[in-house]
This record gives sequence, structure tokens and C-alpha cells, in this order.
Amino acid sequence: MTTVAPATGTLTATGTKPGAWQHRHLIDVDVLTWPEIELIMRTTDEMKGILARPIRKVPALNGRRVTTLFYEASTRTRVSFETAARNLSADVVSISTATSSVTKGESLVDTIRTLEALGAEILVMRHGVSGAPYLAAEVFGGHVLNGGDGWHAHPTQALLDLYTMRENLPGGDLRGRKVAIVGDILHSRVARSNIWSLTAAGADLWLCGPATLLRGMDRWATAWSGGAVPGHGRFNVTTDIEAALRDADVVMGLRIQRERMQGGLLPSMREYAARFQLNAKRLSLAKPEAIVMHPGPMNEGVEIAPDVAISGRSVITDQVANGVAVRMALLYLLAGAHEAAAGEPAR
Amino acid sequence: MSASEGAQPGGPLGPPVGEIVGRLELEKAWLVDPVSDRQGPGEIVVIDGILESVVWLEGDEATGVTDRGVVVAPGFFDLHAHFREPGFEDAETVGSGSAAAAHGGYTTVAVMPNTQPALDDPGVLARIQAAARASGSPVEVLAFGAVSAGRAGEQLSAMGELADAGVIGYSDDGSPVRTPKLLRSALLYAGMLGLPIVDHAEDAELTGGAEAHEGYVASVMGLAGWPVAAEVNAVSRDLAVLADALRDEPRARLHLTHISTAAALDLVRRAKAASLPVTCDVTPHHLALTDEWIAGARRWSWEALAADGTPRDPWADAVLSAWPYNTSLRVNPPLGTATDAAACLAALLDGTADAVATDHAPHTVVDKEVEFGRAANGISGIETALGVLLALVDAGKLPLARAVAALTTGPAAVVAASPATAGIPAARPRGLTEGAPANLVVFDRGDTWRVTPEALLSKGKNSPLLGRELPGRVLLTIAAGRLAYEDPQAGDAE
Repeated sequence: MTTVAPATGTLTATGTKPGAWQHRHLIDVDVLTWPEIELIMRTTDEMKGILARPIRKVPALNGRRVTTLFYEASTRTRVSFETAARNLSADVVSISTATSSVTKGESLVDTIRTLEALGAEILVMRHGVSGAPYLAAEVFGGHVLNGGDGWHAHPTQALLDLYTMRENLPGGDLRGRKVAIVGDILHSRVARSNIWSLTAAGADLWLCGPATLLRGMDRWATAWSGGAVPGHGRFNVTTDIEAALRDADVVMGLRIQRERMQGGLLPSMREYAARFQLNAKRLSLAKPEAIVMHPGPMNEGVEIAPDVAISGRSVITDQVANGVAVRMALLYLLAGAHEAAAGEPAR
Repeated sequence: MSASEGAQPGGPLGPPVGEIVGRLELEKAWLVDPVSDRQGPGEIVVIDGILESVVWLEGDEATGVTDRGVVVAPGFFDLHAHFREPGFEDAETVGSGSAAAAHGGYTTVAVMPNTQPALDDPGVLARIQAAARASGSPVEVLAFGAVSAGRAGEQLSAMGELADAGVIGYSDDGSPVRTPKLLRSALLYAGMLGLPIVDHAEDAELTGGAEAHEGYVASVMGLAGWPVAAEVNAVSRDLAVLADALRDEPRARLHLTHISTAAALDLVRRAKAASLPVTCDVTPHHLALTDEWIAGARRWSWEALAADGTPRDPWADAVLSAWPYNTSLRVNPPLGTATDAAACLAALLDGTADAVATDHAPHTVVDKEVEFGRAANGISGIETALGVLLALVDAGKLPLARAVAALTTGPAAVVAASPATAGIPAARPRGLTEGAPANLVVFDRGDTWRVTPEALLSKGKNSPLLGRELPGRVLLTIAAGRLAYEDPQAGDAE
């Protein structure tokens, strides 16, 4: 792995922009180099420092306008982004599609153009259709920060997951560490973004779930099976929960939605829980010091046992807290990329 | 040339579009005649719309004339296009579609009946025919009638009346013939009338919500997978029903359009070997483009094929140069892998595929400038088909003569195979025939053109090839002895 020089300048005193960040938008982690991911991690460290202070507010984004546009219901992601923006003193405008012109049939492109005309500079967006933020970024003059699109990507979640893993693993190094992600992989943008970031980090990644919720993932794993992608490790796909959990350092559960039964993908929630639930007995296969994660919202008693969710191994509340710091870091880096990215390819 | 809609201006030297070509002499061009299976240096003379002479040059006269320069071929025949009229005139009209066709080298186009209202009775056909006459374009517009009333998949359309009015077959294209039971009735009834059923082979049970070919690219991009089984299942159903129908009605015929997967083409290959009366076509986009274009790759399908026949990895190859999720790549059936594209090419080379058809599907910006999963399916492709096939020729993958045949004699033979249409002009072998009204395309393989919204005469600018240089600039298209298209720069070049 490449090492990088520390970010230049000090964030809090002068607002000096680090020079290593080149991206105008952040739509997925697939475009990030490892040095860029490390820059995000270090910037997150600084943000955590701010959050540890009595007054958790710095003027870094004073006067900058952050707009959140959520086409899907979300509590924690939206609040996390808005808290992060306010901690940086940005002006926050929050658009909920339930009360906007979207309900009158306004197209995404028209909505984005309207928000830009109203002064939006950084657009945090969540959308139910994969790729929607690319369409937004094509017409938006500012920065797009993806808060989750369809089944495709959830880059801030993957980065906060990575940050939380590094924080909890000795030495902060994922290389060779076994990470098991268990649940509905097929429909999960969290899993897809984590594939990019965790293989970049050198983790031994295992994706596990019922065959109906793994569809297509074997083809991805096969394509990477020769380690063909530069800078990216390989990953494993399995329906064998014991193989996935055995000697794992990190175990992450994903939400199982009830709609999957109507779609004929699962017989019942009860059967899912019987075969795949993260419970104490199964977790005994993992390393004793293994941590348990979940991006939320949880169905306790389905994909994760309640006692596991609140056990000493669980770092789920750390994920939520780190989410604010990671999002502060990304808002800060994107805002600073304004000048750096002028004339650069928009991606 | 202005890209304005409606009547097209003529080129700098020629008559206006629609006028008889008074005199045209082309010296030292490369002639391709798929009927006599001959190609080589030659000269043609058109007088008062008639192809008066075709002279094959030999010896010194032929020196320096190669198949890399100006090529003369019979006008092309597209078995599958959407001109959107009536009902969706914002996307295309018979007039704009005909102008686009002529720009692509086509002199005959068969349009699909998924209009609004659907072409399920003779009144709608009369409107299309009237629009074709009013357009002033000499491009011949043929039509398929709907299989079912309103394309609803319930009852048969007014098949007999449509046959009397001149449709060349029936299709519910845009959708498959909904049930095997309806397909069986349609094959029998259309067989009685001497016409084919053209099926869009898709098992809709498997494709609900699907966005892209199920595979590596769709998995990475979080797009709902469109399984290969959807096409294979439908082709398998269609062939089984056809075999059954033939016992009652030996004139039953089936044409499968835009077949896109290796497995489905294998089924057609075996059915043909067993002498079932089935034909099929493949599209230029399934030959040349692949699902990795959705991720932002822009290499041709044959450049994306590894030596072992598997698709290369566009991420590993670092070839993602374009913005991802471009909705002009959303098409039904979806773009497959390089392996599927190679199977389409193999089918074209071995005759499993009888023709190349464009599935020209123009759409408005409103229907395409949306989220990928919400975009309308279709590619505006009638103007880029020749360039795409010539890219295959340039790469050494497809002989020029086979490319021309797939655009001329191939589709004509599909129409000629049905008793009721065997005698129509479009079914005649498309050759360079002296003494007949000229049906010609003249293109320069040595010249390229850039695909831009302005360069496309179609109202549908939904081409994934926008911005790309394509080989083979069309200089002149003559349909039934009349000028259909002339390159605006043709005069400057002389």
C-alpha cells in the first residue's frame, strides 16, 4: 500500500484546504485511491477531535449551502448529514420529497436545476434508483454527495464502516482481517460500497446470505477471482454461515426486509432467523475479540439477536457516532475541492 | 445540412428529396451486388430514375479502385423500426423517420405497430401510408399489424382486414405475444393469410423490474438483472408452439426479432437445422455494444472479448471513460456481454441470423433524461447501423459482402418466404439490376462522420454513439429512382 504525506494545513484554525482531494463529487468509493481513502480517514480523525470538544462547531463551511434531498425515508443518515453540516457551520436546507414538487411529478433533473437556482452548493442526495446521483451530478453545478442510491452505493456508510473497523482493530489495519457481511446482499448498497473499500483495505471479505439474496454476486466475485483488479483484493460469496463467521474479525449484519417474502425470495422471516441470524451461538465461531456491526435500521430478532446487538462486541452505536465525523470530513473535502476540481473531469 | 424536421433539402448538386434522379454517373466505385454475389470495381449510370447500366471494370480500368473507398450497394431494408406515428410524434414521425432512414442508407423500412392507437385495424395503416406519401420521401414504408387488439394480448387484431390493406406480418413488438395460446391462434390465422408472426422474445415473468443484463456489470452497478433465461424461455416457447401449429397450418411462419443471447441463437440454429420455418434478426447494437458501456466503457464488443471467449473486465482494464448510467443504453433486450455479442456475430456469419434489423427506437428527452431504471427502452439506431457494421468490417470480423447482404437480400428473403408477401417489390432480391428503378446507397468507406444530435435526422437523439466517429459516410441514397438523401458536402468533395 502506498503511504501518503499528512494533509497540509490545519483544519480548525485557518480552514486551509488539503490539496490531495481531487473529486468534485462523491458518488461511490470505486473511484477512490487508497491514499484518498486514507486522507478521508485522517480528516475524520480531526473531525472526531472537534466532536470531543465542549463546543462542537467550527466555521469551516461558514456561509456554504448544503442541501439534503431525500427521495427515500431515512432517519439516521439524514440527521447525520445535517448534524455534520451544521457542525461545520454550513447553512442547511432540507428537502423532503413528500412535501416538495416531486409529488406533482417534477423530474429529478428539474428538481436539481431548481435547487441550484435557489443556491444549493453541496447536494446530499438519497434516491431509490441506482445511478440517480450520476444524473444529478451531470446537471448540477456544485458537488453531489451520495447518501445512498438504489442497490448501487452508499459511500459514506462504507467509509464510516471502514473507520469504525480501523478504530476497533489492533493497529488499525484491515489487511488479512476477515470481515463477514451477512444478510440481503442482492439489494444492499451498503454491501456493494463495502466491497470496494474493504478489498482496497486488504480485508478478507466474505459475503453470506440465502442464495436468493446473493444473486449475481458470484459473478462479481468470479470476475475478481484472479485478483485482476489492480489495488483490489478478492472476496468470497457463500451461503454457508458457519464458513463465513469462522474466525472472523468483523461481523456485519444487514437488514432483511419483509417485502422479500412477497417477492418469493424467502419462505419466512422465521426461517431466515433460524438459518442466518447473528446470535451468540453462531458468533462463538468468530474470534473472541470480533466486533459486531450493523448499518441500521435493525430488525432485532430477525437478522440479529437483541442480546448481540447490545453486547460488548457491538460497535453499532460507534458506527452512528463515527458517521457524523466521516460526513463532516467529506463535506469539508468536497467543499475544498471547488477550486482544485475546476476544469477537471467531473467524476 | 439543417436538421429541421419535415421536408429535407436536397444536396448542393442534386434535385430535392423525392424528385426523380435525372442523370447520375458513378465512375470507378466499388460495387457490391449481393444477388449475383459479386463485388469489385465498376461503374453505374442512372438515367431518369432507372439503373441503366452496371459495368464491372477489369484490367487497367480497375486499377486503384478498392473496397476502401466509395461503395455502391443496393438500398438497405430495415425489418424493424419505430416511427412512432400516430401517437408519439414528439419522438418521431413517418417523415422524420424516413429522412433518418435515408441518411442511414435505407430505402425500405418496416415499422412496428406499437403506436397510439396501435396498428390493429386498417384505419391506422391508412394514416401511416398517408403520412409516408405526404412526407415527400421516396423511402418505402411497410408495416406490421398488431397481433392482438390494442396489443393487449387478449384477442386477435383485425388480421384479415390488415392483410387486405397490405401489412407484411403481425407483431406485438414492445411486448411478446402474451400467451402461448394466443401465439398458437395467431400463427394459425396468420399462416392461413400467408403472413408471419414476428415475436419479441421475452418472458416478462422474469424481467419485471429488470434494468440490465444479469451479470458482472449489473451486479457492480446495483442494477436489477435481466436473466438470459427470459429470452431463451420465450424462444423455446415460440418454437414449440410453431412446431405444434404447423401440423394444422403448414403456412404458419415465425420471425424472431432482436435475438441477443448465445443460448437463444443456438435454439434458432437447431430449429433451422430441423427445417422449422423460422427466421431471425440481430441488431447492430447487440453486435457491437455491451453492458460495460453502462458502466462507462466505450470499446467495441470485439475489443472487450478475451482470448478465451469471456468478457474482459472494464474496471481492471481502466477503460471507463464515459459518464455511467447513460440512459441511451437502456434497451430491450438489454445489451449483453462481449460473449453474447460474439454469438450474434457468429449467427450472422453462419446464417442463423437472416438479417440485421435496427430496432430503431427514437425517444424524447423527457423519456430519456431520467433515472436509468425509469428511462424508456430503446436506441435511435437507423442512421448508425451502417457505421457500426463497417466498424465490424474494418476490424476484420465481418466480410463487407456479408454486411451488405444482411442489410439487403437477407431482410428481403425473410419477406419473400411468406406466401402473401412473396410477390411484393420489397421481397424481390435486392441487387444492382439493370433496367429497374434505382434503389441504391452510395457511401464512402474512406470517410467518417461524427454522430451528433445535429447530424441525426431522427427526432430521437437517444444514441449511445453520440460524439463518436463512425466509418462510412453515406453520400447518396436513391429509392425507387428518386433522391432520398444526399450528403450536404457531397458537392464540395468533388
